[in-house]
Amino acid sequence: MERSFAREVDMLRRGDGEYFEGEGILAITKALLQSGVSYVGGYQGAPVSHLMDVLTSDSKGLMAELGVHTEVCANEAAACAMLAASVNYPIRGAVTWKSTVGTNVASDALSNVASVGVTGGALIVLGEDYGEGSSIIQERSHAFAMKSSVWLVDPRVDHPRIVELVEKSFELSEETNTPVMMEFRIRACHVTGRFATKDNKKAAFSMNDRIPEPSFDLDKIALPPSTYMQEKMKVDKRFPAAINFIRDNGMNEFFDGECDDVGIICQGGLYNSVIRGLQQLGLADPFGTSRIPIYCMNVTYPMVPEEVVRFCAGKRSVCMVEEGFPEYLEQALNATLRKADVNTTVVGKDVFPKAGEYQSEVMLNGLAKFIEGAVPKGIDLGQVAAVTKAVANTKAMAAELLGAPIPKRPPGFCTGCPERPVFSAIKLAERDPAVGKMHISADIGCHTFSTLPPFNLGNTVTGYGLGLASSAGVKDALKGPTISIMGDGGFWHNGLSTGITGAVFNNHNNLLIVMANGYSSATGQQYLPSSTAGGNRPPDTVVPIENALRGVGVKWIRKQYTYHVGTMRNLIKEALTSTDKGLKVIIAEAECQIAKQRREKPIAARALKAGKRVIRTRFGVDEDTCTGDHSCIRLSGCPSLSVKPNPDILRKDPVASVLNSCVGCGLCGEVSDAAVLCPSFYRADIVQNPTAIDRTLDAIRRSVIRLFQGKVEAEAPLAAESASGAQIKVAAE
Amino acid sequence: MTGLPDRPISMVVGALGGEGGGVLSDWIVRAAQICRFPTQSTSIPGVAQRTGATTYYIEIFPATHEELDGRKPVMALYPAPGNMDIVVTSELMEAGRMLENGMVTPDRTTLIASTHRVYSIVEKSAMNDQLFRGDNLMNAAQKLAKRAVLFDMMALAEKNGTVLNAIVLGVIAGSGELPIPVERFEESIRESGVAVDTNLKGFALGLAYMKGELELPAPEPEKKSRPAKASAESLLVDVAAAYPAEAHAIVSEGVKRLVDFQNTAYAELYLDRLADVLRLDRERGGERNGWALTVETGRYLALMMSYEDIIRVADLKSRASRMARVRREVMARNGEPLHVTEFLKPGFDEFTSVMPPWLGQPIMNWAKRTEGRRNFHMAMRVRTDTVFGFLRLWGLSKLRFYRPRTYRYAEEQATVEAWLTTVKNAAAQHYSLAVAIAELANLRKGYSDTHRHGVANFDRVMREIAIPASKGEEDPAWGADAVKLAYDAALADPEGDALDKTMASLAEPPKAAAE
Repeated sequence: MERSFAREVDMLRRGDGEYFEGEGILAITKALLQSGVSYVGGYQGAPVSHLMDVLTSDSKGLMAELGVHTEVCANEAAACAMLAASVNYPIRGAVTWKSTVGTNVASDALSNVASVGVTGGALIVLGEDYGEGSSIIQERSHAFAMKSSVWLVDPRVDHPRIVELVEKSFELSEETNTPVMMEFRIRACHVTGRFATKDNKKAAFSMNDRIPEPSFDLDKIALPPSTYMQEKMKVDKRFPAAINFIRDNGMNEFFDGECDDVGIICQGGLYNSVIRGLQQLGLADPFGTSRIPIYCMNVTYPMVPEEVVRFCAGKRSVCMVEEGFPEYLEQALNATLRKADVNTTVVGKDVFPKAGEYQSEVMLNGLAKFIEGAVPKGIDLGQVAAVTKAVANTKAMAAELLGAPIPKRPPGFCTGCPERPVFSAIKLAERDPAVGKMHISADIGCHTFSTLPPFNLGNTVTGYGLGLASSAGVKDALKGPTISIMGDGGFWHNGLSTGITGAVFNNHNNLLIVMANGYSSATGQQYLPSSTAGGNRPPDTVVPIENALRGVGVKWIRKQYTYHVGTMRNLIKEALTSTDKGLKVIIAEAECQIAKQRREKPIAARALKAGKRVIRTRFGVDEDTCTGDHSCIRLSGCPSLSVKPNPDILRKDPVASVLNSCVGCGLCGEVSDAAVLCPSFYRADIVQNPTAIDRTLDAIRRSVIRLFQGKVEAEAPLAAESASGAQIKVAAE
Repeated sequence: MTGLPDRPISMVVGALGGEGGGVLSDWIVRAAQICRFPTQSTSIPGVAQRTGATTYYIEIFPATHEELDGRKPVMALYPAPGNMDIVVTSELMEAGRMLENGMVTPDRTTLIASTHRVYSIVEKSAMNDQLFRGDNLMNAAQKLAKRAVLFDMMALAEKNGTVLNAIVLGVIAGSGELPIPVERFEESIRESGVAVDTNLKGFALGLAYMKGELELPAPEPEKKSRPAKASAESLLVDVAAAYPAEAHAIVSEGVKRLVDFQNTAYAELYLDRLADVLRLDRERGGERNGWALTVETGRYLALMMSYEDIIRVADLKSRASRMARVRREVMARNGEPLHVTEFLKPGFDEFTSVMPPWLGQPIMNWAKRTEGRRNFHMAMRVRTDTVFGFLRLWGLSKLRFYRPRTYRYAEEQATVEAWLTTVKNAAAQHYSLAVAIAELANLRKGYSDTHRHGVANFDRVMREIAIPASKGEEDPAWGADAVKLAYDAALADPEGDALDKTMASLAEPPKAAAE
């Protein structure tokens, strides 16, 4: 696991009269306990991993006291299916995953649970990893809420309000017999704040107090004729009941303002940004008092027609601030006002961008455009224009002063990552004429970084665990080889069934490389069924990937330690040139370096402190033999393999240089070996706390070597002006 | 309003994944909380965390919960251009990104940035020099910020065995831009309980810098020069007398390099070869061109003549100065034995390089015939810290006396002569053409496959453009541009796709016109 949650667990235990201080996602976790859940499940992924991590690691004791069952689900479909517990029984439960990717996977279960309805409150916490820094496809969870007729809560970012809305959402779910989805954008999940805690609630039924009898009800099975009845219930009962509950419980919020000829309607999650935008324009104070009235939709589906009509009535113009495309809310707003015969102009995606994240500048400019068009009474448009113009001017001035755009900084594999060598090997295999350029069906995971510089390997990425499945159509359409990549995360999520079983069944001959680094690394090193965690997991819950492969009929299986680049390259070639029929799988094995370092670094530090002999290994580059061609970097991309300005007066191109962050994984040596790069790399093993034998041997070696070497010639730094020869401009002839 | 502040203090921290930006932001938040200020922070980990650029955003409302008496500020989740009080970045290019995004404005922003560089993969993987040096950045920062605190905090951290983010915290505290007393920051560091002493040390350094109590170490010069061997002294005196000042650094270094590579006679050969070029340069108005022809030809002539054969590599790797440098680089402490393993993988190229031509030539011809022989290499791991490992390299390096009789030597000298002739011919035609051809030699860098590709590219550009243009068979002005285009294309990608494209587009040159 990426971090320890001891402090957070203490927060989760707090009760009446105390305060919680911490991240949004943990405030939500606390709210679940205050709502009396009996079970929690989910599948890891930013930004909701911490919810699962905290419940399934450090807070086991607390969960046992409260009788809450926690489950690390195999995937999002499994998580959503867990909500089945609330279908028949009056028990509350919550599940979580990353949306929309996870919601796609969960959809089958979601349709069924939503159709049959729930008895106990069922909450789905969605982490919206949308926009900046995200790897997620830009789609809307809103569409899922609409198609399954479940309710979507998008709370205003304020810890006390979020907690209140979590509690209300359980009531809403029970009142309307419908699961409720609550979406949190990434910044909201990681936002810090505080709220007054309440005692955790023990559920009436839980692991500690079990339900006496199972219940059977044919109406709760999604089969005709029950489905017809369920559909009728959805439309005629649950939907209106939801609207009534949302209205009666004030889940949405009205904020008055003096310029009441106009108004702003926003998704709850955007409220803070709206206020900041207005504040920048001089139209709101820091406490949220706005001159323009705001209707904050903490529930974005369903819309409450009565509330929007009330808000819009008497206003010339309202602005719908809605992130995401298509503009479902704007459409619904228009339809609602038209039906109610309210003539307010609705402005939305005409002043705001149609798609993309509504960051501060987007918000500022969108609001300014709305105000400039709507001309609210008593607002000085000159001031509004001045603010947006100042921002634009600063950027223009910066661009001019800087002279050229600042280069991008794409992410990549971590220092010492065990997956990097596999891609070095693939690059080298491609150089072999017997193999040639390959089509690579890539997958989701840290290894997706292979598509970025310096590797640029991977022709398609179609979804988590789908690397192999996505090669089915293309493999026989290309002259050259097609290979697939899959991580151990994707393997267990669904790749074993969708990819491998399917490939064996259909008699594929391709090569699949399974990246087995032992964790779901990209989401924070959560355990997987095949994780051994350096022996820290109970062996009877460990399922080796190899066994699973044999079980579904794969015959050609090779396990290979990833750092042996040359062997890996040969193995890839062997698989691609083999005449054996059937799917070939290379299990590329080596532990996630982050997890390994986290475990081993403190051990080494303790040993060092205790005076024990500890070898520190790292790599280096001889600057006087490096010619500055950087081919080693193009085959690695390790953050600790960098460059520095060339110290050689004669050479201009930067030399390669290994930084102190090097963990000595060995790839540099392997690559320069396998790719026959250059003799500049060296491995240094530093003997810390040397023994007497070490010291004596070293002294002998050094004195013998010194006999041959003569004395050390020092390198003199050169005065700056005499090195200026490099930048001579040639005048025009 | 009730005399309360009219806005929160907004602060953004731009860091690189895994650099401790999160810890820094936690320290600040905690210190503000201890002061009872409403505080909010947020971040976007996820993909950006993995070595890409990421940001942390903090808002502090500078009035205590008590002073606010139940009123709650609404805090934002995104840094906003034109609205920032403090912008912190842990690296120079990221400071540029903040400036570019309009986060730094003269009316209110204090910019705090470390000026060291962490190169991005795009800069690192280029085949030539694509480093972002931020030449305009300092000026832009001074103009756009209300106050700019820019210095190499990484060097300071490394020199003192502490960490960058603690120094940054000290600088923030010392800047006085936050209404938080110094002791509160220290309390925050102590409370976090991790590496407290190291962090407090860094914090104190940052604070001392802001108080003006700290002298920063002078930055290391980029270029280093070896002292001349005694035998080179008289040649160096000749260089000083014969060459214009602009060429001294390069030509002197060339002489030193070649005495070191072979002997004084070899350095004399270098000066003999270069003498013609200097004469031509003088005739062709070298002075107003900054003597570019002499400088660039002198540079690459020295590099080509000091080619990296195994004798040279063994020599460089077995020197005492090299062992000392390795110890320094890997930060081995005194008394800690250091084991050094070299990764050598000689093939036929390397073996024949030390054979006489009558033997090397036929073996190379035989070896080039099949893929298997071309790819044959013998992997060797040599422990240069052990007596026998050291002696293997030391022994090889002693083959120096024999070098002029080797196959590789003959090959290299022929290449040098051909290239030099072309440069000189070109100089008679067109100054820029000659300089461009001189610089072409840079394509020959690297070892084994990389070297082979580089040499193939060099030969191709020489054959197809440089030589015909130098003889006046093509318009030399066109030739000058064409050589430069081809040079850039050859360094654009290792696969040679860009070069193929450029050569194809240059295939139809205009016929020789009057210069």
